[in-house]
Amino acid sequence: MNILSEVLNIVFSRNVIAAIFIPGLVTALLFIILIIWVERKIAARVQMRIGPLYVTKRFGGILQLIADMLRFLVSEPVIPSTTDRLIYTLIPILLLLLALLPIAVVPASWSLVVIKTELSLLAFVALTAISPMVIMIAGWASNNKFSYIGGLREGFMLLSYEIYLFVSLLAMTILYGEIDFLEIVSSQKVYWGVILNPLAAVSFFIAMLASTSRFPFEIPDAESEIVMGPFTEYNSIMYGLVMGANYLRLYSLSLAFSDIFLGGWLLPFNVPLPNFIITMFKTFIVMTIAVFMRAVYPRYRVDQALVIGWEKLFPLAIISVLLSVILRCLGVAL
Amino acid sequence: MSSEERAITIFYGPQHPASGHMRIILEVDGDIVVKADPDIGYVHRGIEKLAEYKTYLQVIPLVERQCLPDAAHHNLAYILALEEILGIEPPERAQYLRTLIAEISRIASHLYGMGLHGIAIGSSTAYMWCFGLREYMLLLAEKLTGARITYSYIIPGGVRRDLPQGFSSEVERYLKSFERKMRDLDKLFISNPVTKARLEGVGVLSKNDAIRLGVVGPILRASGISYDVRKARPYAAYQWVDFEVATRKEGDSYARLLVRVKEIQESIRIIRQVLRDLPSGNIFHEKYVKMLPPKIKSYIEDTGRVKFPGVFATLKIPKGEGIGIVEAGRGELIYHLISDGGSKPYRLKISTPSFRNLILFSHLIKGVKVADVPAIYLSLDYFPPEADR
Repeated sequence: MNILSEVLNIVFSRNVIAAIFIPGLVTALLFIILIIWVERKIAARVQMRIGPLYVTKRFGGILQLIADMLRFLVSEPVIPSTTDRLIYTLIPILLLLLALLPIAVVPASWSLVVIKTELSLLAFVALTAISPMVIMIAGWASNNKFSYIGGLREGFMLLSYEIYLFVSLLAMTILYGEIDFLEIVSSQKVYWGVILNPLAAVSFFIAMLASTSRFPFEIPDAESEIVMGPFTEYNSIMYGLVMGANYLRLYSLSLAFSDIFLGGWLLPFNVPLPNFIITMFKTFIVMTIAVFMRAVYPRYRVDQALVIGWEKLFPLAIISVLLSVILRCLGVAL
Repeated sequence: MSSEERAITIFYGPQHPASGHMRIILEVDGDIVVKADPDIGYVHRGIEKLAEYKTYLQVIPLVERQCLPDAAHHNLAYILALEEILGIEPPERAQYLRTLIAEISRIASHLYGMGLHGIAIGSSTAYMWCFGLREYMLLLAEKLTGARITYSYIIPGGVRRDLPQGFSSEVERYLKSFERKMRDLDKLFISNPVTKARLEGVGVLSKNDAIRLGVVGPILRASGISYDVRKARPYAAYQWVDFEVATRKEGDSYARLLVRVKEIQESIRIIRQVLRDLPSGNIFHEKYVKMLPPKIKSYIEDTGRVKFPGVFATLKIPKGEGIGIVEAGRGELIYHLISDGGSKPYRLKISTPSFRNLILFSHLIKGVKVADVPAIYLSLDYFPPEADR
């Protein structure tokens, strides 16, 4: 009996619920389905088209992605003979895992967090920083010239966006004096981070676009230049996983963005809603803005993205650190 | 290692998403293209030889197939060459209608090129909008000729159909909406800072090189040379309409884009003038009207549509040579037709603008980044089937 109740305790513990439901696997999957549909519908609206429609026509084709994924699942996975077989097949799984891992430390409400740690922001940054390496390895393991160039481009991009991503987060940690997401959210009871330090928010958001290769930084997998970049040789469900991993990264970064800059589950007025719904709503808005860029911008060249990173956004991030220091001295945040 | 030893060879096409029916063999050192070698011929159909086995009228749909976005100009150039041998001049109304369809075709062709240029640098919205705007012109062409893309509208001695009823007011309605949407396109794509960053200073063709390499069309005008066949050697109704030749000095990809935009605006001006000044009269040469049986003659007068009697199918052309030169969407297009007095051409030589601009691939795509290859390639508005013939 004791063992059973122990097991039940574990299964129904907050941590497991957070890992499986919110903000973990189920929400992540739901958000991927929704955001890809929203992305395609918004782009279609801007471009005078209808967008996905025929799968579940009554609901505007919202289950199109599930149909696509089924099609990916049943199609034959072809592994080119020239690839490094082991690494090539491992990479989609690795990418998916590494995209899921950062979600473990980001809370969706006071109690909905998989791993409670006082260093959660640090852990988040460390975990998000791994997957670009895997993408570079993917470019190498495919043994294809386009993949190789794509991998190199990912490396170049990494050198640029990681810096201002970290510096803008540094600005926020200085401002709040904390590196725990829960404490960061509770410091935003009066003002949200985006109001206190908009510069850091801007540079973090742009870093988010760059790290998930959204427009205008869709550089590593620029279709008209290098086919599909590092993932040129991937097909069937392996490609499905790679694509899903990219959106998962966007999801985890957007979740972090809404926790750090948009006050997480806090609102300036009272709403009779569970906390996690508010967080998820904010996350979804951030994701929508990020995917909307596709309909507006062409893509930069890799050297231009580097120049923007180093000459514009890096100084911006530094200024945001200064701003944080000033605010901290004035005692605004606390 | 020297840069040549380090270079890897990339086959940019023919299975590449942005290559079209050709390939460019790129030698790439890191992210820099050391050498580009265009490899064409994937869509060679032997149009010139095929033309020798078809009667003069059957050649019209054949030559249109070379360049679907710009079919009217191929049609027109061929007919000009044919009429030079026949020694006839179509009536003035037909000349104006030829200008009308040519300008509609030019706008459609430029939008086609701009749309592909947009998607090449990642703007899917520009792609969709340009193709959406092109739809206006296809609808106008459909109303005028009955076909959307390959009109076969221009025939020896005139045009195939008169203006449909209420066409002018409809065109004005279309053009107003078209111009409004062009302004939207300008805001979103052409003036977009990312577009400028990607295209400005990329693939610069200097004035001297443009002359030396024998470049034609909007590319030549984007390098600062004001040469346009419509002005230099007016055909159809171009001597009677007023328009400017769009030129830019920069010679880069962005200048080529802007020249196309400006030419679209000028084409709209020409369309308006044509509809304003359109003279009344016949749309088919009197010489042929006389040849027609009375039943068909009255049909033409009643409906404003030309219907060929059987005698035209075996039209015999006197011995001689004719040249038709027009300013097509992509540049100067030359048809050289030789007749030996039979019912089929003895020889038809076609010099297409795409083929004449092909030399720019190896000239412009050198020392640029890999990412610039599509930005330059699609700024040339190169159409492989037209070049391969």
